[in-house]
Amino acid sequence: MAAACTSRTRQMMGLLRILRNFSQNERLLSTSVLRHNVASDGPPKFTPPSKPVIIDKTQKEASLRRFLSPEFIPPRQRTNPVKFSIERKDMIQRRKVLNIPEFYAGSILAVTMTDPHVNGNMNRFVGICIQRSGKGLGATFILRNVVDGQGVEICYELYSPRMRKIEVLKLEKRLDDNLMYLRDALPEYSTFNFDMQPVHYEITGDVPVNLLKVKMRPKPWSKRWERPKFNIKGIRFDLCLTPEMMEHAQKWAEPWRPYDMLKEYDTSSLEDHIFKEVQENLRK
Amino acid sequence: MTALTCRFIKLADGLLRGAPVTVCRAGAALQSRAPVIQCIRTHRTNTWWDEHLTEDNASFLKKVVTEEYKQQTTDKLNPLKDEPWPRHEWVEGSRRVGLVAVKLGMMPVWTKSGERHVVTMLQVQDCHVVKHLSKEEYEGHTAALIVGGKNVSPFHRPEGYLEVFRNAGVPPKQKLTTFCVSDNAIIKPGTPLYAAHFRPGQYVDVTAKTIGKGFQGVMKRWGFKGQPASHGQTKTHRRPGSLGPGGDPAKVFKGKKMPGRMGNIYDTTHGLKVWRVNTKYNILYVNGSVPGHRNCLVKVRDSILPTRLENNKNPPFPTFFADGDEEIPEDLYDQDMFQFGEPMAE
Repeated sequence: MAAACTSRTRQMMGLLRILRNFSQNERLLSTSVLRHNVASDGPPKFTPPSKPVIIDKTQKEASLRRFLSPEFIPPRQRTNPVKFSIERKDMIQRRKVLNIPEFYAGSILAVTMTDPHVNGNMNRFVGICIQRSGKGLGATFILRNVVDGQGVEICYELYSPRMRKIEVLKLEKRLDDNLMYLRDALPEYSTFNFDMQPVHYEITGDVPVNLLKVKMRPKPWSKRWERPKFNIKGIRFDLCLTPEMMEHAQKWAEPWRPYDMLKEYDTSSLEDHIFKEVQENLRK
Repeated sequence: MTALTCRFIKLADGLLRGAPVTVCRAGAALQSRAPVIQCIRTHRTNTWWDEHLTEDNASFLKKVVTEEYKQQTTDKLNPLKDEPWPRHEWVEGSRRVGLVAVKLGMMPVWTKSGERHVVTMLQVQDCHVVKHLSKEEYEGHTAALIVGGKNVSPFHRPEGYLEVFRNAGVPPKQKLTTFCVSDNAIIKPGTPLYAAHFRPGQYVDVTAKTIGKGFQGVMKRWGFKGQPASHGQTKTHRRPGSLGPGGDPAKVFKGKKMPGRMGNIYDTTHGLKVWRVNTKYNILYVNGSVPGHRNCLVKVRDSILPTRLENNKNPPFPTFFADGDEEIPEDLYDQDMFQFGEPMAE
């Protein structure tokens, strides 16, 4: 008996040690060992085991990603700020009616527009966003897709009354802000299925960046994408250009550009202010 | 005594020697004495208002001036309460005042059917009627009202300019324009004018100074076609070419279009539709583009195009009074315009 007791106490000590180890990780789990001990003392008076309380303190409370659509940021001009604030009011009013989600150049969107020339009045188009331009109410984005072997690009106005729905099928960023070079890339990089299902994306954390480098068709291209003014990182230049051609392209480099003080435009404080204003008004 | 005697001797010598000469000289002096102009030397004082004042004085003056102008604007906020001139009803053929506005910028506008148009935003900042000129004072055909826009500091303006505003009891303005007005539309000087003076659906004419382009060639200034870029053209690609017919007139006619200074002149765009009026910020949304750069002052008045007179019927006459009985909403939209807060029709 004594030996049994000691073995049991040894088991208990072991358990306690294990439990202590567990408690260092701060994950308290119930074990069924206690139940066995209770059963050996006579008719089992069923006591339900304590519910597992998982206090997971390894990750902090996840915060929503802060995203301000680029058309809210006013351009660097000598205009009266009243003009921008009034335009912003109109934009917020429109956003209350139509949900314009967060997206970047490189995300795949499905856009539904009203079209008087179509039977069912609605016109749906799926494509990859290659460019977001324009400020204020005239903001636009271009969607590109290859339909039946023919490349099609459609430029949509975000605040047009004909927009019915904008869905983000896949939210991701690419290595560049402007993917116009997809026109000269192999068509497989611009084909997307119209019946593509939306891919789940997180509303917290960073936007996933697709590090895809695209293979190009043989030259001539619509623009000389190897030149440093475009600053393109998403093309596989090693497959289509020789190092001599790359060096020759560097002749058009303008190394003074990053130091040009007249082109400096610090939007951080403006962005904060506008972000707060937009969030406040959207909640009303 | 010696000095005097010397002088006498000298004089005598002169008299003896130059006797005939002196007579001529005296005669000459007599002749030249008539158109003698007396020149008074004046001192030019190029000084600015701040120069001989201490910093305290300058800041005090600025404060006093801003307070005075605030007081003046608040006094004039209720024009209908202090002895207004009689108000008449709008009649066909009567002309009313216009406004002076600031060009803010441009933005897109959509109709209900989805067509996109561009509009210019014109903000009416501190517009007051400054003076009334009766028919006799002005030119004999119509009465005139001088209107000013956008308050400005009095320190860099001449006294004569500020006097007009002092008489009207209104802060000094940057731009003054005259509007020819029919007799039933005259307004008491000092009345503020607002953007609600114009209503959506109306047509307006906008006058402003065009952007100055400097000395420009004939292709940009007059739209000449120039010459081809290649096929043997020797040093002639943007030149005016021939200046006119040959030996018969043997001259270049007056008014021949040639290179010269372009822009920085007053120009009017006629028949612009008003899409929207914001009464809170006093902004007019006017179709299309308007001459002038951003933040320039423009003169807005009812259109004189005969085909647009239909749309300008029954406007607020003689002007829109903010302290009157009418309660107007913050935004007035045209019928065809798409309003952004509208719910989407499924």
